[in-house]
Amino acid sequence: MSAAALERQIRPIYDALDTGSNKSAIVACNKLLKKHPKNVLIKALKALALIRSQKVEESLVLCDEVLQSKPIDDGILTAMMHVLRGLGRHNDMVTMFDEAYKQQPTNEDLGAQTFFANVRVSRWKSAHQIATRMYKQFQDERYLFWSIISAVLQAKDVSTPPNMRTILYQLAHRLITSSPTPSYVNADRFHLHLTILRDLKLYEEANKLIDSDIGKSICATNLSCNEIRRDICIQQGRIQEEAERAEQLIVEKKDRNWLEFLSVLDGAVPAAVSAGTANKSTDAGANINRVQELFTKVAEEDASKDRSAALALLELEKRARTHGLSQDRSRLLTLLKQYFEKFGDKACCFEDLKPFLELEESELAQLTSFLEAVPTSFTTVSELRRLINSYKILRYTLPLTDITEEKESARVAAYVRFYFEGLALGDGLPSSELQPADDLVLLAGNTYVSLWKLTDGDCHLLNAVYLLEFALIKSKQSFLTRLILIRLYRLLGASNAALEHYRAMQVKQVQHDTLSHLILSRASTFSLSATGDITLSTECLESTQIYLSNSQETGDFIVRAFTGEKYSQIPEFISFEDQLDNSLQRDTVKIEHLRMRLTHEPINSDLIDMELIELKFIFDRIHYDNRDFAILPNYQPKLSEGLHNQTLLFSKPEGDAWMMTFLKVYIRAFQQASDLDDTVEEKLLIGDRPKQTADFDKKLSLRDRLMQRDPEHLSSLTLDEVKFVEYAHALIDWLEPYHNHCRPPPAVVLAEAAKQTELKTGHPLKGIDIPPLNGNGHHKKSEEPPAIHEAPEVVVKYFDAAKSRFKEAQSKPSPSELLHVATLAQEAYLLLVTETLRFKNPSVVKIHKLGNLVTNFKTLRSDALSALAEISSTLIKRGESDGSSDSRHLCMDHCSSDLSSNIDHDFIVTCAKKICDSRKKVLDGVGKGIDRLRTTYA
Amino acid sequence: MSVLRPFKASDMFRFNNINLDIWTETYGIGFYLSYLSRWPDLCCVQEAPSGRMMGYVLGKAEGSGAEWHGHVTAITVAPEYRRLSLARKMMSLLEMVSEEIYKAFFVDLYVRCANIVAIEMYEKMEYSVYRRVREYYGNLGIGKGGKDEEDAFDMRKPLPRDVNQRSIRPNGRDIIVSAHDVS
Repeated sequence: MSAAALERQIRPIYDALDTGSNKSAIVACNKLLKKHPKNVLIKALKALALIRSQKVEESLVLCDEVLQSKPIDDGILTAMMHVLRGLGRHNDMVTMFDEAYKQQPTNEDLGAQTFFANVRVSRWKSAHQIATRMYKQFQDERYLFWSIISAVLQAKDVSTPPNMRTILYQLAHRLITSSPTPSYVNADRFHLHLTILRDLKLYEEANKLIDSDIGKSICATNLSCNEIRRDICIQQGRIQEEAERAEQLIVEKKDRNWLEFLSVLDGAVPAAVSAGTANKSTDAGANINRVQELFTKVAEEDASKDRSAALALLELEKRARTHGLSQDRSRLLTLLKQYFEKFGDKACCFEDLKPFLELEESELAQLTSFLEAVPTSFTTVSELRRLINSYKILRYTLPLTDITEEKESARVAAYVRFYFEGLALGDGLPSSELQPADDLVLLAGNTYVSLWKLTDGDCHLLNAVYLLEFALIKSKQSFLTRLILIRLYRLLGASNAALEHYRAMQVKQVQHDTLSHLILSRASTFSLSATGDITLSTECLESTQIYLSNSQETGDFIVRAFTGEKYSQIPEFISFEDQLDNSLQRDTVKIEHLRMRLTHEPINSDLIDMELIELKFIFDRIHYDNRDFAILPNYQPKLSEGLHNQTLLFSKPEGDAWMMTFLKVYIRAFQQASDLDDTVEEKLLIGDRPKQTADFDKKLSLRDRLMQRDPEHLSSLTLDEVKFVEYAHALIDWLEPYHNHCRPPPAVVLAEAAKQTELKTGHPLKGIDIPPLNGNGHHKKSEEPPAIHEAPEVVVKYFDAAKSRFKEAQSKPSPSELLHVATLAQEAYLLLVTETLRFKNPSVVKIHKLGNLVTNFKTLRSDALSALAEISSTLIKRGESDGSSDSRHLCMDHCSSDLSSNIDHDFIVTCAKKICDSRKKVLDGVGKGIDRLRTTYA
Repeated sequence: MSVLRPFKASDMFRFNNINLDIWTETYGIGFYLSYLSRWPDLCCVQEAPSGRMMGYVLGKAEGSGAEWHGHVTAITVAPEYRRLSLARKMMSLLEMVSEEIYKAFFVDLYVRCANIVAIEMYEKMEYSVYRRVREYYGNLGIGKGGKDEEDAFDMRKPLPRDVNQRSIRPNGRDIIVSAHDVS
């Protein structure tokens, strides 16, 4: 058959792949392979279709075959690029392109592909070498710059030793100065050049570039270049020059970028006191006066059009005070008042003034009386905003002695009253708009939380819910209101209501990473997975889609930034990718999902092995905390712990410590329950092993690291979690020797894996010699089993203790804590099930003579089961009572008169019903779930 | 008063106070990265001295011949920072870069015909309606504002290079094109 005819037959395979018809692509490949059994392209395409149909093992076989043929054909390489990416085998991709490029060194496109393959796995050294070679070969200056930035990126890589970094920067410097055309032909090349000079501290050379006409014009039109220019000036102490330049911009060009004002301020007086600044005080005094005049003039000119100069005056005075250079003690207060007069009707006035509210007692008293004099009657939105700003500042500066139940109650009454009055101002607004009075509700919400903290009375949380829910009718799109509600509903044990609001915010894409903590932190407490309701565990999976997009897409854009020569963006993209890939929230959700999964899916070796491998990868990662807590509208006094901390579920933050603690528990438990040891795992692993980025003592073994306990870590755990962790480790320590004794040797495990693969794919596993098996598959050990010990006391008594904690928690009006205790007891039981899974097989027990050990389990299990039975039935009963109309009435009775006089009674009924229904659902579901697990693992 | 600085990829971790507002869409990360990987100088952020993001603009340069222009793809300001002329400052940066770096003839943007507040704001910034694009905003469907909800005005502002002011036409509101003719 001619080549053209073959090509015609291959085209439908591409079409099928393009339209996602992987099945028909496979069929078409098989048909053609019969006629052309040696055609590598068809094999590569089949491998691609297979991987896209999740048939990983089969794809692997073909993939290896294709790679062995060392392809150079463009079509094959492209298909294989997708295959290898799908398998996560980026290192093989580098080898493949490397070999192809070696065979065709004049193929420019292939050179670029090889370069990008290296970029994808951050092999900067090889990337640098390839780019250098390409520059020589093809004489395109772009490749010179690729080689330069590769050297810079290698210098920045954490794995590069510090002494190498300077050498690499010097190399980059030498190369960039060797460029035939100067770097300033392109802003991004110029940016790269300045970065190198900055990091090498070659200021003189940098100044020459910056001060040249073309340099000046680039910095004037490119914010990134200007940023680095400013950096270089400051680093070499050209602060005065910078101040003069900024002043010129402010005066002549009317530039109002706050950065320019900061430069002028820095020229007059530094923000912080440092050694060496003290002796310049006479100079500084004169400087301050001069700058003060300048800003005063600008402020007058700008009037209410721009806040920069007015704010700069405040900052100047603040700095003067820090240095003891303030000439007029009353000035700060005067400026604050002036600012409030001028900008008090801007929504951001409070935020603007926040940094300047560190006042002495007498000053504060004056400011307070000034703000208390702000009229409480309003007819315009401006007046209302002024009142709100005054309330925010007053509240922020409250001394501890004023945070009492009585005073907070008075405040909340005022906020509520003016909120309802203020609603009139937003009467005709379209439903998509926000009410101008909304912030009063947020203030009230904060205050109710404060009252709750002061009194421990849930009635304040209920009142907050009624008011905030009402406010949402008036401002349907107020996400700030929803944020507080989400926190409150979780505290109240009405998890479903919290989820409803979370969903209404339409969190999507990268926001999942920064915001899913709102609903997923400790979400297993409310999970009904055991009953088959996988709402929350689905939420976990959905929130992790973004990490997949990140690993699929961001790399492509890094490549695009290379092709488009946007060097300023490359390091940014790389660190973005890294920060998202190694997100703390990602792995916190992973743990939470695992906890739910164990209640939903059968606990068996497949689940254990898969999770074990993933968890170990997580353990080796460095973590970035991208969670957004600043989004919560915090209007609490600055001396209080703030709304975020006050409304944390169980008053305990999640974070690295929490995640690592649970991670250690599960890695240890799964390691014991699994037959995979490191050698087996190595052989069975398909994709590349992720880099170890975590910061730990590399001399320590994995086991050493797992055994490390940091007492400080426990402080982010609730007491019940601490108990659980103690129990878990005691259980694991106890059973470790028996697991190690029974675990089949790696050869046997591999043989079994090979057998399974062959059954599935028809091909044996590669590189594995299967040793002869001794008949029944169970190896016999000649040595005696380890001495049998009784279960440790912590383990034996755990469920009794849990029972009494459960009784205690029943007295709380909110069921959250009760659910916490209950789900932890359930988790403890599932851990016992996991840990004893190996010994369920009677022949294992018999061969290894562990009969006495197994009797221990029986008592443990029956104790646990009876405790869980009690917990389960109590939860179900509690669910009934919490969902009853009596409870609803009780909730409604808590409604304060401030609210009931303004909010329709029926509305309160609906809110109370929502809470009660939601509580009933979760209590009943968790109760029934526990019961179900009792039967499953009886 | 605000810091004007380049939009960076990591700003995606911090833009919630802007993007949770319903009028601001949160796109896939590829959207932001595609702008940054091509027109980083047309993407900038306004930030409060506290470090909180106040607003941002994403723009691009496109078109051929006399149609070569700067385009404002997204401009947004968080609710609490509105009415502080932030949009104006970001627009003037974008106009300056379109003029000086990209040598564009004009800058343009799309706005919902029903969004009278925004249209008036852009008119103050010397933009004028060049044409009406039918059914440009499909997602909301026809609401209270009827056709004005889903149609867009393409508003343009000439830059010095547009010597003949061809990006201005007095009857722009009456010139109607369909959405697939424009992008």
